[in-house]
Amino acid sequence: MELLQSVLVTPFAEMIGEPFFFIEVLIGGLMAGVMYSLVALGFVLIFKASGVFNFSQGIMVLFAALNFVGLMELGLPIWAAFIATCVIMVVLAFAVERMVLRHLVNQEPIILFMATIGLTFFLEGLGETFWGSEVRPLDIGIPDGVFEIGPVWIQQSELVAAVVASLLVTTLALFFHYTRVGRALRAVADDHQAALSIGIPLNHIWIIVWAVAGFVALIAGIMWGAKLGVQFSLSVIALKALPVLILGGFTSIPGAIIGGLMIGAGEKIAEIYWGPVFGGAIEEWFAYILALCFLFFRPQGLFGDKIIERV
Amino acid sequence: MSVEQQRKERIGEVILKADKISLGFGGVKALNDISFDIRKGEIRAIIGPNGAGKSSMLNVINGFYQPQEGNIEYKGKVYNPMRPYLAASNGIARTFQNIALFKGMSTLDNMMTGRVLKMHASILEQALYFGRGKKEELEHRAYVEEIIDFLEIQAIRKTPVGRLPYGLQKRVELGRALAAQPDLLLLDEPMAGMNIEEKEDMSRFIIDVNEHFGTTIALIEHDMSVVMDLSDRVVVLDYGKKLADGTPDEVRANQAVIDAYLGVSHE
Amino acid sequence: MTSASDYPDIATYDTFPKLLRYNAQHLKDSPAMREKNFGIWQSWTWHQVHEEVSRLACGMASLGLKRGDSVAIIGDNRPRLYWTIAVAQSLGAIAVPVYHDSNAEEMVYPLKHADVRMAIAEDQEQVDKLLFCKDKVPTLECVIYDDVRGVREYTEDYLHSYDSVLEMGDAFASANPGYVDGEIDKGKGSDVCIMPYTSGTTGEPKGVLLTYDNLLKSAYSGVIFEKLRADDQCLAYLPIAWIGDTAFSFAQSYITGFCVACPESSETVLTDLRELGPTYFFAPPRIFENILTQVSIRIEDASAMKRRMYHYFMGVARKVGVRLLEGEDVSLSDRMLYALGNILVYEPLKNVLGLSKVRIGYTAGEAIGPDIFDFYRSLGINLKQLYGSTETSVFVTIQPDGQIKPDTVGVPLNGVDLKIADSGEVLIKSPGIFYQYYKNEEATEEAKIDGWFHTGDAGFLDEDGHLKIIDRAKDVGKLTDGGLFAPKYIENKLKFFPEIREAVAFGNAKDYCAVFINIDSEAVGNWAERRGIAYASYQELASLPQVAEMVKAAVEQVNADLAGEERVAGSQIKRFLILHKLLDADDGELTRTSKVRRRFIAEKYAPLIEGLYSDAKEASIDAEITFEDGRKGTLRADLEIFDATRVSAPSVAQAAE
Repeated sequence: MELLQSVLVTPFAEMIGEPFFFIEVLIGGLMAGVMYSLVALGFVLIFKASGVFNFSQGIMVLFAALNFVGLMELGLPIWAAFIATCVIMVVLAFAVERMVLRHLVNQEPIILFMATIGLTFFLEGLGETFWGSEVRPLDIGIPDGVFEIGPVWIQQSELVAAVVASLLVTTLALFFHYTRVGRALRAVADDHQAALSIGIPLNHIWIIVWAVAGFVALIAGIMWGAKLGVQFSLSVIALKALPVLILGGFTSIPGAIIGGLMIGAGEKIAEIYWGPVFGGAIEEWFAYILALCFLFFRPQGLFGDKIIERV
Repeated sequence: MSVEQQRKERIGEVILKADKISLGFGGVKALNDISFDIRKGEIRAIIGPNGAGKSSMLNVINGFYQPQEGNIEYKGKVYNPMRPYLAASNGIARTFQNIALFKGMSTLDNMMTGRVLKMHASILEQALYFGRGKKEELEHRAYVEEIIDFLEIQAIRKTPVGRLPYGLQKRVELGRALAAQPDLLLLDEPMAGMNIEEKEDMSRFIIDVNEHFGTTIALIEHDMSVVMDLSDRVVVLDYGKKLADGTPDEVRANQAVIDAYLGVSHE
Repeated sequence: MTSASDYPDIATYDTFPKLLRYNAQHLKDSPAMREKNFGIWQSWTWHQVHEEVSRLACGMASLGLKRGDSVAIIGDNRPRLYWTIAVAQSLGAIAVPVYHDSNAEEMVYPLKHADVRMAIAEDQEQVDKLLFCKDKVPTLECVIYDDVRGVREYTEDYLHSYDSVLEMGDAFASANPGYVDGEIDKGKGSDVCIMPYTSGTTGEPKGVLLTYDNLLKSAYSGVIFEKLRADDQCLAYLPIAWIGDTAFSFAQSYITGFCVACPESSETVLTDLRELGPTYFFAPPRIFENILTQVSIRIEDASAMKRRMYHYFMGVARKVGVRLLEGEDVSLSDRMLYALGNILVYEPLKNVLGLSKVRIGYTAGEAIGPDIFDFYRSLGINLKQLYGSTETSVFVTIQPDGQIKPDTVGVPLNGVDLKIADSGEVLIKSPGIFYQYYKNEEATEEAKIDGWFHTGDAGFLDEDGHLKIIDRAKDVGKLTDGGLFAPKYIENKLKFFPEIREAVAFGNAKDYCAVFINIDSEAVGNWAERRGIAYASYQELASLPQVAEMVKAAVEQVNADLAGEERVAGSQIKRFLILHKLLDADDGELTRTSKVRRRFIAEKYAPLIEGLYSDAKEASIDAEITFEDGRKGTLRADLEIFDATRVSAPSVAQAAE
């Protein structure tokens, strides 16, 4: 009885009792969710355009952040480090296309998936070789203060992260909907053969999506890094993108974003209000349980293409 | 001047030549030393029973398959082998036997995508819809609208193609190919799975496309009757080999063709 | 407020070309026509239309078109085809719109009968038909086509493209300045201006000659009745050859100056309707029915939330929507609910259907089901019924705003005299009554006696002076006491009950009216299931006493209705029975279009009719039936016969209660 009450009644009573605190928790959660969204976005881009489940997206976040912070430590100004890292990610995209994808055209998805696992270890090793494995603080001048709206306090750094993320998403949406390349990307995602036949070069498209995914990874890496410091655990956090994808659907960009926000807010709220009941650390596994529930009831995710097996 | 004569006059020099093409998958020879040509302005049919290698031939022409031997000469240039991108950017468009449309997009978007190679404005201009981007978009839209009108598919302009019935999807696919303003149009079984009325419609569109846009058309079909009325010249394939090549009348009279279609063995 | 002074004086501007000239001067740059082409709405101002019509008239004059000639117009709703009506009239020729969906064989008759000299065709399809007709129609001299696609290759020298005729017109105009204006001035109201063909149920179609006076005055009274405005807009999507379209999309537009829009193609009508949002809309009941069906299907596919909302608010609309439209008293809470429904359901729905701006909607041609009629009215769409025919230049009666009854067609318009013959036939005298049938004096004399047009419809005026059409006059009979017996009227009333699928009424030359009833297996089956009544077959369902009771209630309700209508009060149903099998086209009992074949049924079921007209409590019948697989068999049935209470005239008031 007591347990039931502490699960079903007390948390809600607390939420209503201190609404401003609840709003702060919610906003904090949503901000963390933005980060998940960014990582998930990278997955979706590559999955849509090439059908490849890119296991290495998480490590790309770390790899990008490592390069960025490393170049800054070498004395480059922020903008130069940013541009240089972008260039590195584009080069990486070229390399992946040339050395991995091109040779695996028309192979089973599982083979390509394995290839991306290989890529994961390679990037991890490469990053460590170049930049070492210690935790590096990343300061890109995001203000550290607190923003007050009435009785609600919001971390300025989180606000900046949210703004950057929404800018990025808007740009991508415009890019996908209105540009020739965007239309070509959607076409490739829909039907490879048809796209080839009207003259869309698949290789270019792969390079473009991997480069874009690299760019998204860089932004995510910088945001995470600024908050937690650049360290190898980033790639583990990036794994949270997996439940996000299950929630939002593997093929939906809005799905990735909303899925990320839901997981972020959900796990934070669960941690604060239900955490004590379960002895804390709900944050670690909440997302996976939620994803599991989704797999039972809506395997295509919130926005994903309906899975219809035609006979 | 009769319609017949007008047609004859329209046909010009050779636009594409397949030269001694051989293609195998593992141990199976799909195409065996096939040579033929396609003339500008004509409707050229490739026929044969199932498994004769017709689709393989089309796939070789637009570069989906790279033959082990032989090459494709197109507009006087030898390609060894042809690649899909090269084919498309040099004016070869095609449709597919099993309809390969962008199912999530509308009819209009599918056709606009067909013009992807004709767009030149920079990404920024397109994204922000100004300057060249806007002007270009409008020009392409106008051209696509002409084709929509031509194929009488106004009513489904905004419908996601995945929701359309089969016959209309075929028409949209033809529309997407036409949107690229091709010089050579490859049609892979354009009438497969259609009822008689839809076949008649499609035949009419094929002839109209040929006359109205002057497009050279190469089509695959296994329904002999349709092909004979439609095409200027016919190539007959059987088990990857060329059986006959000529006008419909010549082909009809060819003993090898008769035997192949009636299943008579000829030693 | 609009008043007569807002419209051109039709005594001065007594022909359509004169009206066009007037509009070009007075309405100048306001839009006269629109058409969706290449995905974009194009529009033409009155000024432009006048220019184009003048040019084309010159062109056709140079091709030799003269006063009194006839010009066939064949095609879908295209602005250019509408203009050619005015072109022909400008030169004093008669426009003959021909149904464009007729095949080539069918087209020969009207073209030949009308002595057509020139024909205007929309596209290759129509040109091909005309080429087929050319040899069979000796008077046909030249064919003008609009859409060049496919026709370009044709080598016949009597084929001219629309554009080439325009060019000929320019040359002709510089050689003969003022020619067309002179010809227009020669035209007068009593000239014949158009000759639509009516598709009679029997025999060849008849060419109905209408003068300017007929069409103009009739259309004008419609304009005044509805206070149509220059800023109204309609969508011309019904066949040009149908007189209604001529009246709405041509005559009334020329009088008021409103804009007529043509759809992109016949398949895009619903989309175009949505984009355009016409204020003046016409559709036969069949189309309203189709739209409703589509809505229902879409709603069933929608999310549960939307579905529930739709059903709830449609309930509200059914309850108060019609009354609100009629301006009746409705409680404040219902008004508020309706207003909420308006935001959530009605407006979005109307918007999707393209009916949100409709000020005046008409339906005509046949009876519209009251539930369909009320569906649209409850959404707040001012849908009304109208009565008329080709011979009356359409406008005879219209339902006035605020006096809509689902089963009448409204009151006679200004200038229309209407009387009911003893036979029950509706007779009309009005300025719109046609001049004559072309080359068919006999038919003219039969239809027009002493200036009264015999409509062929039977009906009567109700207590408010509304015309009620009950049947075709030839199907209406008399009871032995001389009372009117209109079988279809009674059958329709019965069929409006969901549990009754089909009814066959007898009574001509009998003492009283008696009916066969076919119950609706679905509606009655559901009803039985809900009450836990078991049944194994249709026959068993039909013979259940509870079902008989339900049908009896319906029959008596119909009797109460009939009692309230003096002319037909005598034909109340005295006895009825419920058939053991569904009437079926395969058994010859229905036509393929599902109309009952009364005479055939009367013969086949003679023993049952005998039973109805005796005191018997039961009758039996051996009926031959055809099984799905084509085998034949017989079905013997004993059917109970029921008596229904009839309402005597004095108790009308109570019955209405």
